[in-house]
Amino acid sequence: MKTNHQAWLLGLLGLLGWLLPLASPAGNIDLATVPKRNTVQLTIYNSEDLTLVRESRIVTFKKGVNPLQFSWANTLIDPSSVELRFREPSVGLAVLDTTFPHDRPQTLYWNVQSDANHEAIIEISYFTSGITWAADYLAVAHPDENALRLESFVRVKNLSGEDYENAQVRLVVGTINLVEKIAELARLPVGRLDELKREEYQGLRQKAARKMMAPAPAAMMSGATMVADAAEMEAPKEIVKAGLSEYFIYTIEGTETVPNGWAKRLRSFEADTVPVAVEYRYRPREYGEQLVRLYLLKNDTASKLGGTPLPDGVIRVFRTNGREGLSYLATQNLKYVPIGDKIELNLGADPAVIFELVRQKVYRDNLWFQLKSGHLYRKLGEDGFKLDLDSQVAGWDEHTVYRQKIRNNRDQPIHVQIRREYPGDIAFHSQLDPSLHDFQTVQFETDVQAGEKAGLDYEIIARMGYNQKQNRVELQPGAPGR
Amino acid sequence: MNRTRWLYPLGMLLLLSAASSEALARIKLTTLPVRERVAVQLDYPSVALVEEERIVPLVKGVNQMDFSWANTRIDADTLVLRILPSTIEPVLNAKVLSVSYPPDENALIWSVAADASGAARVRISYVLGGLNKDFHYRAVADRDEATLDLAQYLRVNNNANEAYETAEFWAGVGERFDKPLGLNETKEVRLNRFASVPIRKTYSCDPVAFGYLDRAQDKLNVPMHYVIRNAGGMLGQEPLPAGKVRIFQDDGQGGAAFLGEDHGQFTPPDEEWELYLGLARDIAVRRTIDRSERQRIAGNLYRYDVTLKYEIENFKDTPVMLDIAESVRQIRDQVRGGVNRDPEWQLGDGTLRNPDLEKSDADKLLFHVELPARTADGPAQKQTHTLRLTLNNEW
Repeated sequence: MKTNHQAWLLGLLGLLGWLLPLASPAGNIDLATVPKRNTVQLTIYNSEDLTLVRESRIVTFKKGVNPLQFSWANTLIDPSSVELRFREPSVGLAVLDTTFPHDRPQTLYWNVQSDANHEAIIEISYFTSGITWAADYLAVAHPDENALRLESFVRVKNLSGEDYENAQVRLVVGTINLVEKIAELARLPVGRLDELKREEYQGLRQKAARKMMAPAPAAMMSGATMVADAAEMEAPKEIVKAGLSEYFIYTIEGTETVPNGWAKRLRSFEADTVPVAVEYRYRPREYGEQLVRLYLLKNDTASKLGGTPLPDGVIRVFRTNGREGLSYLATQNLKYVPIGDKIELNLGADPAVIFELVRQKVYRDNLWFQLKSGHLYRKLGEDGFKLDLDSQVAGWDEHTVYRQKIRNNRDQPIHVQIRREYPGDIAFHSQLDPSLHDFQTVQFETDVQAGEKAGLDYEIIARMGYNQKQNRVELQPGAPGR
Repeated sequence: MNRTRWLYPLGMLLLLSAASSEALARIKLTTLPVRERVAVQLDYPSVALVEEERIVPLVKGVNQMDFSWANTRIDADTLVLRILPSTIEPVLNAKVLSVSYPPDENALIWSVAADASGAARVRISYVLGGLNKDFHYRAVADRDEATLDLAQYLRVNNNANEAYETAEFWAGVGERFDKPLGLNETKEVRLNRFASVPIRKTYSCDPVAFGYLDRAQDKLNVPMHYVIRNAGGMLGQEPLPAGKVRIFQDDGQGGAAFLGEDHGQFTPPDEEWELYLGLARDIAVRRTIDRSERQRIAGNLYRYDVTLKYEIENFKDTPVMLDIAESVRQIRDQVRGGVNRDPEWQLGDGTLRNPDLEKSDADKLLFHVELPARTADGPAQKQTHTLRLTLNNEW
C-alpha cells in the first residue's frame, strides 16, 4: 500500500501546518500554503515511550525574512524538542528566532533568513510519545522435539495522534546505554546522574538520542520508496539489523504506513530448524515447587540464530503434534537475549514425569549438653562427666535420609537436574556426584530412560545449635543412612 | 492489490479482500471462504486451541485477509496463520507479509503475497476462551467385587459463542473424534471403555487422615476403597485424568446398585487409583495408646517407649485385609507434647513390626492385617495387635 497524498490530509487534520507568507502571526486573517511531507523517518525506542521523528519537506524561500508556522494539535509531540535544520542548501539559510505564541497552543513560529529566492529541503525533527514497538515470538517445535521453528516479529503501535504514512521505521533495541550516553554528554560520572534536574535529564536524553540517530540512510532522505515489481511475488519485508554502539537498530525495509490507532506486525526473522534440547529442572527459587520441562536453545549461528540480540517480548510455544495440528505448550515473557546467550523456554510441569521426594529416616547423634553451671559443654558419652538433670541439650546433628523418586512415563529418555537449597551448617552425604551451585545450594543430575524409574538417595546432616559452626553446605561422598 | 472478505454470522468474521492499496479503506467487496476442517485441541489444561482450515482464493500480488470476531473470546495474540502446501491446481506460492491491527476492533488483517492467482489452503489457529472440558467415569463392579467395568467420558462445554458444524476433538487421551458442537451446547462422548479391570477392595484405618468413628470409645473410622492399578490390559497406556467417578455394583438382577461417587485423582500409568466407597460398619477397630514410659538418658534427654493396641473385629462373613496407617509424629506429639523436630524412632517387637516399606516413610507407617471371617454361627473373632515404638533422643 503506497499512498502519497498526505499533505492536504495532514492539513485537514490540523496536525502540521505551514503558513507562507505570514506577515503578522497575530493577524486574524491568514493565507497559508502547506508544503507536503517529503519523507518521514521514525526511530522508536522500546525501553521508553520515546520516538524521534525526522521529516523532510520542500519549501520555497524568498530573499529576506520568511515566517514559518509549525503546529501539532492533538498529538503527543514534545514542543521543546522541535528542531528545524536546512539540508539543501545548508548555507544561506538561518533561523533568526523561534516564537511560541501565547494565544495558540501547540504552535510555534520560526523566522527564517534567506540569502536568495530558492527552493530548499528542510528537516524538522521532534520527539513524540505514543508510538511503541514490541517484539514477539512464535516457536513451533518439531514433533520429535529436537528442533523448533522460531519466528520473530515486531509490532509497531501508533497512538500518537498522527498518521505517519510511508514512513521509514527504525526500532531501537537496548536500554542501558542511553543513560550512559546521557552521562557522557553531561560529562558527569554515572553515579551523579540523579543530581540532574528532570528537565536537564529530558534535554540530555533527547540530545543523546538525536546524536545517535544522526546519520540517516541516503535512500530515505532522497524520498525513494519501494515499489514492488509486479512481475514477481512480493516478499516479506526485510528487517535490517545493525549494531550501533551498545544498541541494535532494526530498520524495516522500505516504508510503512501506520495510521493513528493501528498496530502493524512484521516478521523480523525466521529460523526453520533451531536445535533444541529438552531438560527437566527442579529449581524452586526459579520455577516454584515443581519439576518443569524446558526447551533449551541458543541465540548463536550454530543454531541458525545469532544475527541479532532478541529483544524482550512474549514468546508462544507450540508443538506440531504429528496429526496435522498444533499443540499449545506455553506462553512466557522472553527477556532480552544477547547474541550467543541461551534461551530457556519453560513449558511447566509435565504430567508424564512423576517427581516425588520421600523422607525415609530421621536420626540424631553427636549430642552436646550445656552444663547447668554455665558455659561448659560436654558431649553425650564422654567419659568422666556426669550429666545431671539440669544439663540441657545444646547441640546435635540431625540426619535425614531422602529418596528422590522420578518416574518417566514418556517414550523418550529424559535428563533431570535438581537444585536444593539448605540453609545452615549442612553436610550433603550421597553417591550422586553432586556439585555446589552456590554455598548453600546442591545440584545433581540424572538421566531416566523411557518408562523407567530412578531413586536418588541422599542424607542431609544438619549441625544444629551448639554444633553449628558454619553456614554452608559441605559435600560428603558416601552411602546415605547408617 | 486484492481484497476478499469472509463473513461469519455467528460472531466470527474472516475477510479476504482484493482491494486497493488503501489500508484504511473500509468499503470492501468480500468473498467468504468456508471452513474446510476444524480441529479443537483440548490436551492442554484450561486452554482450547482451535485450528481451522480454509481454502482461500488469492490473486496474483498482495491480498488482504481480514479476520474478525465478535462476542467470542479469541486470544488475538495467539492467532497464527499458516499457508499449507497446496494440492489445488494451479499450485501457487503464498507468503504472509504483515499483520495489521485496526483500532477498537476485534480484527486483524493479514497481507498475503501470492505469485499466481488461485486457491491456497490456510490454517488459522487461536486460543479460544469458553470452551472447557472435564472428564468423568462410570464404574460398575461385578457381584463379588473382583473386577469392574470402567467407562471414561469426556464432556465439552461450549460457552465460546461459536458453533462448529463439525470439528475434530482431541482431549489429550483417548481417540480423536469428529462431532458437531452447537452454541451453548455440551457434548458428552465416551472416550474409553476398560472391561474387567481387577480391583482390590481395601479397608483401612488412619487416625490422622480419617479420624474416629467414636472418639470416646476409641473407635476408628474404617473407610473402604476400590483400588485399581492403571496398568495391564487396555489400562496403563495413558494417564487417567482427574474426574468424578460414579460407582455401581451389579445387583445380580440385570441392574446396578449405586454405591457412591468420588473424585478420581489424576493417575499416571502404573499408579494406583483409589476410589472412596464410604465407611465400613462391619469392621470395628479400637485404638488405644496402651503404654507410654519415659526414660532419662542424660540431662534433659529422654527416650519414650510407647505401645499402641488395636482391638479389631470383623463382623463380615468374608475374610478381609485391613490397612492400619499411623503417623509417628502424631503419636509422639500425643505422648509428650508437640515439638518442632521430627521423631527419631525404632519399631519394637509388637505384632505389627513389618510395615509395607513401599508405602511407609520416616513418618508414616502402613501395616496390612488379615482378618478372618466371622464363623457362620458364632460372633466375630476379636484380634488384638500391638505396635511398639521407641522414640529416641527427645527433649
